[in-house]
Amino acid sequence: MQEVVVLGVGMHRFGKTGDAIVGEKSVTELCRHAVDMAMKDAGVSWKQVQAVSAASSRFSGGKGWGLNGNDIVEDFGCTGIPVYNLSAGCAAGGNAFNIGYSLVAGGIHDLVLVVGGEVMPKGMIQTSGVEDANDPEYLRQRCVGMPGPAFWATLARRRIFDYGTTEEQMAKVTVKARKCSESNPFARFQKAVSLDEVLASPYVSNPLRLFEICPVSNGAAAAVICSKEMARRFTSKPITVATSAVATIGFDDALPRSLAGPVPSGPSFHTEAKSAVMKAFERSGIGPRDISFTELQDNTCYYELAFPEEWGLCEPGEAERLLEAGETAPTGRMPINPSGGFVSFGEATTAMGVFQIAELTWQLRGQAGGRQVPDAKVGLAQTNGLGGNATAAILKR
Amino acid sequence: MNEIANTAALREPCVPGLFSEEEGARLHGARCNCCNTPYFPRVATCRNPSCDESRIVPCTFGGEGNLWSYSVADFPPPPPHRYDQPFVPYAIGVVDLDSGLRVVGQMVDPAEAMQVGARVRLVIEPIHHGDGKAFTSWKFKLL
Repeated sequence: MQEVVVLGVGMHRFGKTGDAIVGEKSVTELCRHAVDMAMKDAGVSWKQVQAVSAASSRFSGGKGWGLNGNDIVEDFGCTGIPVYNLSAGCAAGGNAFNIGYSLVAGGIHDLVLVVGGEVMPKGMIQTSGVEDANDPEYLRQRCVGMPGPAFWATLARRRIFDYGTTEEQMAKVTVKARKCSESNPFARFQKAVSLDEVLASPYVSNPLRLFEICPVSNGAAAAVICSKEMARRFTSKPITVATSAVATIGFDDALPRSLAGPVPSGPSFHTEAKSAVMKAFERSGIGPRDISFTELQDNTCYYELAFPEEWGLCEPGEAERLLEAGETAPTGRMPINPSGGFVSFGEATTAMGVFQIAELTWQLRGQAGGRQVPDAKVGLAQTNGLGGNATAAILKR
Repeated sequence: MNEIANTAALREPCVPGLFSEEEGARLHGARCNCCNTPYFPRVATCRNPSCDESRIVPCTFGGEGNLWSYSVADFPPPPPHRYDQPFVPYAIGVVDLDSGLRVVGQMVDPAEAMQVGARVRLVIEPIHHGDGKAFTSWKFKLL
């Protein structure tokens, strides 16, 4: 195995179609900006890229059938290099990073470009558009009328029941996230919000409000990764990839994602996310207590409270107290989503896993400005996506 | 609209083959005779990786259970969801049936009446109307 490092990262600021940030830019244009920035940051030229690992765009671009990496190669100049298009719902960016990492770690290539970007359709994310009675997503939509946010709301409601979480505490996660994103030049929302403003936003799926779930966004992120050996030619302070892991859902998962499942013997939700994070801890020899900060998939505020507990970063039921004591802020003992998270960026699904790698890199280099985690040494990134996919990565300086 | 809903001849399942109401509300599922895992809808083989031998037999689920959690659809969801106009927010339950199945379904009662842990019963009720018909699905009613 070769040691893998992140040599350069880039991003296109997130926005929504028609606004002053992304306007009418195509996914290829967004990706071009992110890739260009990552290559400049790394100090490499396009000809030095030996392979592309891309999160395959589900909603936009490509040639209309879920392709992204090939468009980037075409855009930058066809050099005949291999392209890997990875599809894993919202975990696709994390999957693309994992394949890029694996290719370099396994010695197949020395320098790989990882990229993800998306132009999202307006409105609620549609998990399925097919009218097929064999598709569980279709059955859930037609027979139950259960849109995506309803899952998060169901879990949040249960947490309220189990731990007495208040709606104010849920809203404070957004207040904290938006405070962080004030100083993130790549965030879609760069204005703080007050507790009252969050609580005044309408319910999307009670108990979750509009400001407590992430909207859809357009955006792109890229990372140039290479072997440690090769990195010596470019930098004296590379960021090391301690590990990258991928997992899928367990049979005993307690959350019915289609219509039904067996009544579980205990609470075990999002087994795919926990499994990916546990694998990452195990493979890297880095434990929850060694983590300086975490970037996790906060499609909703609920996850910021639940995930750290499920992964052993804190005790079950402790997250609300840590939040209210400021411990999950960048300057706290357990910083969560110093970037501002999905809640502040909105989700460009395939970009998110790579967006996290960029944030981890900036944090570990000490380049995160007003949202900087003091003396950040080790960062954890995590995504999960449709179909029971999840990824985790640990980066260190 | 209520007239349609109450005329049995004009009731039609929103998706055929998944449930019936002739002899009480029943979900048409299956169970593995080897590991006892319940399934809804039916499956061809047992999906439990710990199961030694897949022995799937058809079975139905109905009766009562506990409301494990719930949420509310406060906004009209995108297609292929279907709902009656004007849109009225509805509660969605996650119910642990006494027969061992955890299943999602719309709640008959208003969101304000929901309580985690409440006892509920499986029913078949209209979920949307169109073409002079009431399209039905399974739902849960608070006891």
